[in-house]
Amino acid sequence: LSTARRGRILPYLLLSPLVVFIGALSFVPTADTAVEAFFRVMPLDPPTQFVGLGNFRALFASTAITTSWVNTVLYVAVGVTASVVLGTAIAVALRQRFRLRGVVLALVILPWALPAVVEAVIWNWIYNPTFGVMNSALHSAHLIGGYHVWLGLERWLTIVLIEIVQVWQMTPLSALVILAALQSIPIDLYEAARVDGAGPAAAFRRISLPLIRPALAVCTVEALVLSLNIFDQVYILNGIAPLGSSVMLQTYVTTFENLNFGGGYALSLLMTLATAVLSMGALALLYRRVEGV
Amino acid sequence: MKKLGIVSRRAGALVISAGLVTLAAACGSTSTTGSSSSSPGSITVAVAYPSPPKALLDQFTKQTGIKVTWVNIGWDDLQTKIAAAMSANTYFADAADVDWSKVGEYQKTGWFLPLNKYFDVASLKSDLPQLGTFVSDNELMGMPFDSSFLVTTVNTKDFAKAGITTMPTTLSAFTADLKRVGTANGMANPLDIHFATAEGLSTCWYQMTSAFGGQVLTAQDTPAFTSPSSPGYQAMTWMVDAYKNGLVPKGNINETDYQGFTTEMAKNRVAAEMCDYSGSVASIYNVPSSSSVVNDTEYIPTPGATGLGGNVANPDGIGIPKTAKNVAGAVKFIKWFTNAENQATWAGLKGSSDVVSTFPLPARLSSFSLMGSIAQASQLASILQAHAKAPFPNGAPPWYVQFSAAVQTNIHEAAAGQETIQQAVSAIAAQVNTLKSSG
Repeated sequence: LSTARRGRILPYLLLSPLVVFIGALSFVPTADTAVEAFFRVMPLDPPTQFVGLGNFRALFASTAITTSWVNTVLYVAVGVTASVVLGTAIAVALRQRFRLRGVVLALVILPWALPAVVEAVIWNWIYNPTFGVMNSALHSAHLIGGYHVWLGLERWLTIVLIEIVQVWQMTPLSALVILAALQSIPIDLYEAARVDGAGPAAAFRRISLPLIRPALAVCTVEALVLSLNIFDQVYILNGIAPLGSSVMLQTYVTTFENLNFGGGYALSLLMTLATAVLSMGALALLYRRVEGV
Repeated sequence: MKKLGIVSRRAGALVISAGLVTLAAACGSTSTTGSSSSSPGSITVAVAYPSPPKALLDQFTKQTGIKVTWVNIGWDDLQTKIAAAMSANTYFADAADVDWSKVGEYQKTGWFLPLNKYFDVASLKSDLPQLGTFVSDNELMGMPFDSSFLVTTVNTKDFAKAGITTMPTTLSAFTADLKRVGTANGMANPLDIHFATAEGLSTCWYQMTSAFGGQVLTAQDTPAFTSPSSPGYQAMTWMVDAYKNGLVPKGNINETDYQGFTTEMAKNRVAAEMCDYSGSVASIYNVPSSSSVVNDTEYIPTPGATGLGGNVANPDGIGIPKTAKNVAGAVKFIKWFTNAENQATWAGLKGSSDVVSTFPLPARLSSFSLMGSIAQASQLASILQAHAKAPFPNGAPPWYVQFSAAVQTNIHEAAAGQETIQQAVSAIAAQVNTLKSSG
């Protein structure tokens, strides 16, 4: 082979292990799942049979699953909004030079580095109605008269409190991504704005915000994917109770608790499509706006 | 602009990839199940209990030449692992936990091998009172290795402080006594019943139904709890009322059984456990490092509707998955693990160094004879023989897992005030009827 030809082949050779790896571990199971979603697959009640859209119809007839879709929309709304807003606020604060900034930065990133299960267990203790920190702190501050049961009794409160745990985990990465974007903005722009009479708020609105939109898009998609697929936090903090159940939790329950693999495949397929469509929609929306700046 | 377009396309591809990975992870049908290998000289054992002491496992290896790899997985995780591995026809262990509630399911799916040709059911029954629980359609799906059953446990010190030294025999007397105990000890909520959507809530309902003198399913596996006068209906009402009326801490809505034992009863936040496991006194409450009620707790005969109630058997067994690589080795291990002397050893016969942590009770009556008075063995043996009964007339039905999911979800919702008792009962009954009609 000539050197030029070897040079052309080399990238493909180097990429091939990754392609095989992804193909074997992701695309093959995905294709298998997409096909099986149209079959009745129940180990307790064989045989496997083609049922067309039967699994999907059964999913939408289940109150537990339709409730979990509504809950998941709420998880996404709270999660995306809070993590992007908080991430931006933290990034703006960290952009300033102050003593121990490095230490603060390290502390901010800590929740992101912890596994979701560990975080959920920690927050389970915080929310514990008998000896949790939250009750203790609020009671000491005279904000509540007696100890409250935070999770499992009121739907909205349960969802918001569970999503706070995920926001706590997602926000550090958002803050870092946005901080990197903020630091890449030339300081000259802010100086020119100041000369023109713009205050900090106006500078943020007219300079920072438009220029960090690509970073905001990445953070939005990250938060969207994670909150759409929320599982660990819900399972540990609220079990499989329908009140706070997410679609991913229902996928687990359908597949491994009820041993209805066909239903689990169908729910997974719907979730994948929802994740892909919503994420691409968010990207398209935010990037178009950047192009218009 | 061009650069942004490339970024956008790449980001889009990333999103799709993330979604696909999520899908694959969620389904898990072809994912690996953490398999480990076995050779003729080794076996892997996967159960929800800690291993016996290494010296004893070494003795087994010396006797048989079989090396044992012990995998201790939490109960709920283990059930998921078994279902995932078996449905994917993948090896994961040579011997594994067979919970009483899974017997019908494993028999119907063929996920575990029948053990009839290795163990004589007829001759073992007299020594293993709960052996029948592990037989489905005449096939022995697992050998019981403990005889756990649900009991009522009280803190006698707290009761004595309220002037109660004779334990109540009816639920109404028990309720009245608990109120006195709460007042005397400054406990707002003196009783622990766990209401998290977990298996422990289902089991507690079976136990309370037994306390009211019945079972939740008929001999034909139809609902026996739909009439307001039925033991199942009354049991659910009593449980939910106990929660709503403040006898049970409000935080218990998301508390599992084990959390209740370790953070409520062992810390003296409550004075009684309604659905405790036989063995908790020795393995949890009398452990000084984690308990503040050492030597203060005692099992009592279960208070019932009009007199003493029954106790529901909750034993664990060990069986051989159909994908086991070393069946002969697994059989030898099960025989060793469940023999009378070793069963007594795991429960404390030879001192605490040989105890299997959290092991409730031996499965064999002959083991109780060996133990004498150790760890209230004689007291528990008499309850086991006289009162402990299987929760269902025909053993656990093949669709038990779906049934239990409906039970725990609906009782939880009734306690949380999201539905009435009647709605909960109707929803569970509807699920039973659907499950029966589908197979």
